[in-house]
Amino acid sequence: MTAYILRRLLQGVVVLFLISAVTFLLINLAPGGPTSAVSLGRTAEEREAVLRQYGLDRPVLVRYFDWLGGVLRGDLGKSYNQGLPVASLLAQRMGNTLQLALTALALTALLGVALGVLSALYKNRWPDHLISSLATMGMSVPAFWLGIVAIIVFAVQLKWLPSSGIFTVGQEFSLADRLRHLAMPAGVLAFTLMPNVIRITRSALLEVLTSDYVRTARAKGLSERVVLLKHTLKNAMVPVIAILGLITTVLFSGSVVVESVFGWAGLGRLAIEAANGRDYPVILGVTLLVGAIVVAVNLLVDVLYAAVDPRISHE
Amino acid sequence: MKGIRWKFRISAALLAGALSLGEVMAQDYDPNATLNLATNADPTLNPWTPGAVVESNLINTIVFDQLVRYNKKDLSPAPSLATSWKVSQDGLSWTFNLRKGVTWHDGKPFTAEDVAFTFNDVVLNKKLGGQNAGNFSKVKNVEVVNPSTVRFVLNAPFSSLPYYLAYYAGILPKHVLGDAENPLQVASFNKKNPIGTGAFRVAEFVPGSYVRLVRYDKYWGGTPKINSIVFKIVPDPNTQMAQVISGELDFVGVSNPALLAGVERNPKLQVLRQSQNLYYFVVLNQNDPRFRDVRVRQALLYAIDRKAMIDSVVRGYGTIATGPIAPLQKAFYVKDVPQYTYSPEKAKQLLAQAGWTPGPDGVLQKDGKPFEIDMPTGQFGYLVPATLLVQQYWKAIGVKANVNVMEWNAYIQKMFVNRQYEATLAWWSTPPTPDVTPYYASAAADKGNNIPNYKNPELDKLLEEGLKATGVQEQVLTYRRLQRLLAEQLPYLYLWYPDIISVRNERVGGMADINTAAAFQYSSEWFIKR
Repeated sequence: MTAYILRRLLQGVVVLFLISAVTFLLINLAPGGPTSAVSLGRTAEEREAVLRQYGLDRPVLVRYFDWLGGVLRGDLGKSYNQGLPVASLLAQRMGNTLQLALTALALTALLGVALGVLSALYKNRWPDHLISSLATMGMSVPAFWLGIVAIIVFAVQLKWLPSSGIFTVGQEFSLADRLRHLAMPAGVLAFTLMPNVIRITRSALLEVLTSDYVRTARAKGLSERVVLLKHTLKNAMVPVIAILGLITTVLFSGSVVVESVFGWAGLGRLAIEAANGRDYPVILGVTLLVGAIVVAVNLLVDVLYAAVDPRISHE
Repeated sequence: MKGIRWKFRISAALLAGALSLGEVMAQDYDPNATLNLATNADPTLNPWTPGAVVESNLINTIVFDQLVRYNKKDLSPAPSLATSWKVSQDGLSWTFNLRKGVTWHDGKPFTAEDVAFTFNDVVLNKKLGGQNAGNFSKVKNVEVVNPSTVRFVLNAPFSSLPYYLAYYAGILPKHVLGDAENPLQVASFNKKNPIGTGAFRVAEFVPGSYVRLVRYDKYWGGTPKINSIVFKIVPDPNTQMAQVISGELDFVGVSNPALLAGVERNPKLQVLRQSQNLYYFVVLNQNDPRFRDVRVRQALLYAIDRKAMIDSVVRGYGTIATGPIAPLQKAFYVKDVPQYTYSPEKAKQLLAQAGWTPGPDGVLQKDGKPFEIDMPTGQFGYLVPATLLVQQYWKAIGVKANVNVMEWNAYIQKMFVNRQYEATLAWWSTPPTPDVTPYYASAAADKGNNIPNYKNPELDKLLEEGLKATGVQEQVLTYRRLQRLLAEQLPYLYLWYPDIISVRNERVGGMADINTAAAFQYSSEWFIKR
């Protein structure tokens, strides 16, 4: 197992290297330039001065190896448009994204699996129909629209929740205040991501429920509770873990739309701002970080498979 | 606790009675209140740093004073850090007397050295590429005459200098930034703790969340009437609008009038229609010989129904533009210039005179070549729908525009930096001065702000005359001639002056109504009603 994990980590480093090279070349191929240099009304002279400050007058390859050398020494460079070290920007934003992502993930996983189980147990009866119509809604409603509607209802009309931000000015350390700010963005994310979990849990469970060993377990006279919790659910978990792994990578890399609508200063918003402003060092930093997250989560998912299903082995 | 607050209130009321604070009585406003404003991204708290644009301008206007600010009534230059100024006979030297007793937010005194540093070492240092630095290209250097007097020495006459000194030209502290290798890239200043002389100082900057300002008690214009101002970072305009409706924000600028639905009838909110020297236009690249014929330019403007465009694109919040000098410049604006009222017939006639005849497929042609125009546009504001309307109007007279919608940054690169376009729709926002040299002079063609690359010696002469003018009367005469010439020649096809819309909670008082840029230069006068 250890050898397997080491091998996968090594592969991950190679993947990250390739990602960085491709990203570097692609962003330099994209038309436009850093906002601080290329914005309406800047004279040619001002533009050239700024490009020279960033070293953008040098050839792409020279700049890439310069950047790569910095990364190997632990220096991700400095943001063009913000003037701050990329590492500190990523750290700030990652913390915020993690808060939102973990809350949304917990909601998605717990509610998704619970509703999926209910759906399977009441197959083709009204709870199943109700849950699957909710799931269809969650899948088809765009997150930005749901976010704006949620703001209109809960912030503007009812005034229950704040419409944006991470905490109220001056209440940085109040847990209740943080939860109030988390409620809408995490709720919207969970509502739109849950349908996949519900559907997969339902179908996996239905498949297992009709299998021979469940029939045997029931024939042995085991209670329905034990059959469900001990024999069925665990075996139905492999596909559910796979989909939760996918959702985790989506959440950890920052949800652009939800972060923008709710003014949540996370990675997704940083990525979009950097891309729109052609802030090359930030784009590379975000790409590298998200790449690392995807590699790590995929590895974790594969290890988890082996844990829930002894037939899967990585030896 | 309650008792203490009561006592405080009573003593505050007594104090106010004794001192009488002018028009606003202390009992009318809450000195402990917080004003909630919004910006769309993390600001950079240095007005000259490259890339410090819309997200930073309003905060910087509050934190950093300028030598000159706008008069609240007519936007003419008014004293700020400079109390008075005088220009020499030859127009090449301006002397500014500085206000005495002004202190920086760290308590150090403000002197002429700070002004000299800001210009000589920052703005005029070409290596730094400062934002808006190009506005001061005519300034050679700034001399310190004595601690409270500076002299701007110019390369050429520049009658509009005071206007530009009121336009995002904050003064920086020499004692803080003087030793920095690049004074525009000091992260501890730009992103955390900037030092200005303004009515409010920065107390806290939480990246991605908010910037909190608190009043500067030793402000030269008197103690501000609000305790703190919070700029929340809210990127989504829909969310900003929701927050102003829910009372979480007190004031927002509205870029898209469609968002006003639901606000216009809210009794707690005031919709402000203001103006700014801002105009939308279509430019026809003058490097393309087809557009050098003035009849073609006139025809392409006659073909556009600007009234209908204003009604649909900006929901009526705008007026037809006649030139680069907007009506808010009352002393200079002239109305009796050619108007080009919508007339497709006239457009067709003019094009026929210019040799364009209908081709087999309805598209006009000349010398066997169809009249096709490459028209890129960028995804920003309402540029795309406006461009598509122009395309339809031109189609109706047999001119085919090939619209190419691009991502904003890529569009700027193509259209503005590389000038790879035949026609495009954009806007200019300029200080309220009649001098338009940066946008019209032949010298600014091809690489400067003269986007259409228009070159006209007669116009150059008028621009120079305007800059040399020493009295307002002389300026008025020159700029009238200039506006007529521009309206006849149409280097830009003028579309409209949009209203600058903002929504304000009625609890906010003391904010000048003329426009946002000017109102934010007087933040010490704002107050929150009890």
